[in-house]
Amino acid sequence: MPGLLPLLPLILLGGGAVAAMLAAPRAPALSRALAALALAAAAVAFGLRLPAPDATFALIVDDRLARLAGLVVCLSGLGSLAFLRPGGPSREGPALLLLATMGGALLSGATHAASLLLGLELVTLALVALFVLPLSAVALEAGYKFLILGAAGAATLLMGLALAHAATGSLEFAALSHRGALVAAAAALLLAGLAFKMALVPFHMWTPDAFTGAPGAAAAFAGAASKVAVVAAIVRLDTVGPPAGWGIGLALFGGASILLGNLVALRQDGMARMLGYSSIGHAGYVAAVLGAGAAGAHDAALFYIVVYAPALLAALCVSTLVGPEARIGDLRGLVWQRPLAGWALALALISLAGLPVSAGFFGKYVIFTALIEARAWVLLGLALTGAALGAYYYLRFVAVIFRRLPDPASPALPGAERVLLLLATGATLLLGIRPDLLLDALP
Amino acid sequence: MELTALILLPFFGGIAALFAPRWGRDAERWVAVAALALALVILILACLTPEEGRWIAFERFAWAPSMGLQVILAMDGLSAALLVVSLALGIVSVVVSWKITEHSGLLNAALLWTVAASNGVFLSFDLLVFAFFWELMLVPAFLLISVWGHGDREAAALKFLVFNAVAGLGLLAAVFYLGASGEVVTFDAFEIAGRQIPHGVQVILLLGFAGAFLVKLPVPPLHAWLPDAHTQAPTAGSILLAGLLLKTGAYGLFRFPPMLFPEGFATLAPWGLALGAFGSIYGALLACGQTDAKRLVAYTSVAHMSIVLMGLCGGVYFSLMGAGVEMVAHAFSASALFLLIGALYDRTGTRDLRELGGLQQNAPRFAAAFAVFFSAALAMPGTANFLGEALVITGMFQVNWIFASITLISLVVSVVYATRLFKRVVFGKSRRTETLEDLTLREMGPIVLLAVATLLFGMLPQLLMGALEGAVGAALAPVAIP
Repeated sequence: MPGLLPLLPLILLGGGAVAAMLAAPRAPALSRALAALALAAAAVAFGLRLPAPDATFALIVDDRLARLAGLVVCLSGLGSLAFLRPGGPSREGPALLLLATMGGALLSGATHAASLLLGLELVTLALVALFVLPLSAVALEAGYKFLILGAAGAATLLMGLALAHAATGSLEFAALSHRGALVAAAAALLLAGLAFKMALVPFHMWTPDAFTGAPGAAAAFAGAASKVAVVAAIVRLDTVGPPAGWGIGLALFGGASILLGNLVALRQDGMARMLGYSSIGHAGYVAAVLGAGAAGAHDAALFYIVVYAPALLAALCVSTLVGPEARIGDLRGLVWQRPLAGWALALALISLAGLPVSAGFFGKYVIFTALIEARAWVLLGLALTGAALGAYYYLRFVAVIFRRLPDPASPALPGAERVLLLLATGATLLLGIRPDLLLDALP
Repeated sequence: MELTALILLPFFGGIAALFAPRWGRDAERWVAVAALALALVILILACLTPEEGRWIAFERFAWAPSMGLQVILAMDGLSAALLVVSLALGIVSVVVSWKITEHSGLLNAALLWTVAASNGVFLSFDLLVFAFFWELMLVPAFLLISVWGHGDREAAALKFLVFNAVAGLGLLAAVFYLGASGEVVTFDAFEIAGRQIPHGVQVILLLGFAGAFLVKLPVPPLHAWLPDAHTQAPTAGSILLAGLLLKTGAYGLFRFPPMLFPEGFATLAPWGLALGAFGSIYGALLACGQTDAKRLVAYTSVAHMSIVLMGLCGGVYFSLMGAGVEMVAHAFSASALFLLIGALYDRTGTRDLRELGGLQQNAPRFAAAFAVFFSAALAMPGTANFLGEALVITGMFQVNWIFASITLISLVVSVVYATRLFKRVVFGKSRRTETLEDLTLREMGPIVLLAVATLLFGMLPQLLMGALEGAVGAALAPVAIP
């Protein structure tokens, strides 16, 4: 059935999830392998279809944006799977991760309220379960916060969609471009719902807990993969019909997130907490660029968030390796003790700080350029401030990683983590030298 | 391809040095020396076969065409002189850290990467690529201070990095604005130089550029990172900081403001003169009050680079030429002083002037070397430093006699600190230097090289001045599109 070909990645992810779920109780290793296989296959399917002609369905569209975002979501899911701790109560982890990835992939192609909500909820619910899997108090708190705030976000979103339907009689994205008070209110509520997923201020409260309490892999998925999917959804909404007042809202959320995320990250000594708060700041850059609305804003936002994903994955993977509670002092001399982990973390932090030779430098470039093109001087000022603060708190950690240590005692890294760190570092370096490879692939 | 090689050779040499320790003893050091020496040979060959016109060598190729990104490398006499400095100091810094065994693969890699990035700065005329190398310099220099430094090295490294990274953001924003504000996205400095930019915009953009350059230079009140960074850095790090990184700031000011923002530069130049005048006195006075020898030399760098800033902002032939000469001369003399103090510290475990002394009796080679570079530090006639400062003062008299007199006063103060350093280190008596081992052969090599360079350019000024002629002319009459 050639008509179903564009849906192949979703089918692979869904089928994989069922298979992994079935295998989980008896053979956790098999479940993990099945999940990895399904994710890899879905990524290949997205990747191979990148140049194919667009296909439109009632609820989703299969175009370059959807495929690229889907590809990145699948790869990030695969990356998260690499350091999802196997065994124990988290046997269902791989299956849940697949479901979350499927939600993200669905979200990347959503053109209709139903698929948007379905995608968002699939991600949220699967992640809630992933968060609480360790069954520790901190994990439960993280999951609880995520669930409560997620439900609030979903309710807001639903209300917005309902208002939009009341005003226009349609549930398609295009309907949101109509003018009128009701549609404006709908757009505002919709934006608030999406801002929750992006962890934008003031809907960011779940982030620090997720990064410290939840398993690192789940936090990585929430921080990287699901944000890529939401950015794709926002870009699509913006392309199909920019809702009224959308830009100002995004700019406000973005500006506040840049400021608050970076300022609070400045004071963190815990590695995971620092990453959590700084991820709010990074989401802020993307929202600010989308809100400022320059010609190249979509490309800039997508480029930035895609480049952010491998750096965050690598950083969180190392954070999981040294222990999620690691403070800055625990990273002392990491480069000498565990060379691969140390180097990968150093490069990831350098990329997050936006220094060359890393993809983050060009991330900074696209963000600043888009803000300059839009003549959004206030946002540019905020972004500069955020980048300055970021340079400080990221490199504080880099300095510690390279601290001299007398005894190079190195427990070997597990294989999956090793592959992930190598690939993430490779991607960060490659895009730091040839950023056009990604930029040309953007829709 | 020779210009690209000047950047890529040290860069890949650094990667090779990282893995070299497993190939054999001292392999990483030999790899580093070989990469730099090869680059030096390529540079000399390129200078011997100059192309027609303004540039000795010129290269242009696409990097990321869809982003408007291309590599434009151009070398004139100024770049060539600074590249010689950078490669020579690179070799010197590898040689002086020969005995450091801790993580020596990364150490040599960081030295080579610093050289590679600053070579990129000295050659790039695509502004985004320039900014790329500008930021790239920070990372290896940061590692040098924070891993192999002394005392509170991490705080010093972080301070260095934050000052420079934050100032670099202004440069980045200005560069991005220039790139995005044209009809097509381009960062080609020659093309941007041909644009008509409104005066007010020029001033704002120039402030972005100048912020980054002045912090790197550094000029008070933006110098707060330098004394700590210099003092805590290992000897090789101090050499590269003083000899190379400070020069990138001066180079940037030399090259870009007159080329890109001629009117804005004319508006801001008087402020630069005032800042330079203040810095030259301030740095010299603070140098007089230091007891840590390395800190003292660090403050003299502030004073000397402030004089360079005055020369650059003077905008007349003599002041610009003087600034160019002083840049090169200071690179040799300051790094030699850091080398000597570092060697002394390795032997005695102190840099405190109150505890040192007696070199003249106990270590005559040490004393002689100090004498040469002490004369350079106070700009004794016969050294290249004298030539540079004399030219700047001559130029200043054409611009404004007040600024000229201030420079003269700072020269008088420089006699005070240099004499004090010399007296405390070389004469007198000290328990700590009684059994001192004199400079070894491996240490004499770099010292002799730097001394010869200092004296050669002092005695035969035409060598250096002839090379700088083109760059000075361009800074006087900007915009020359090849």
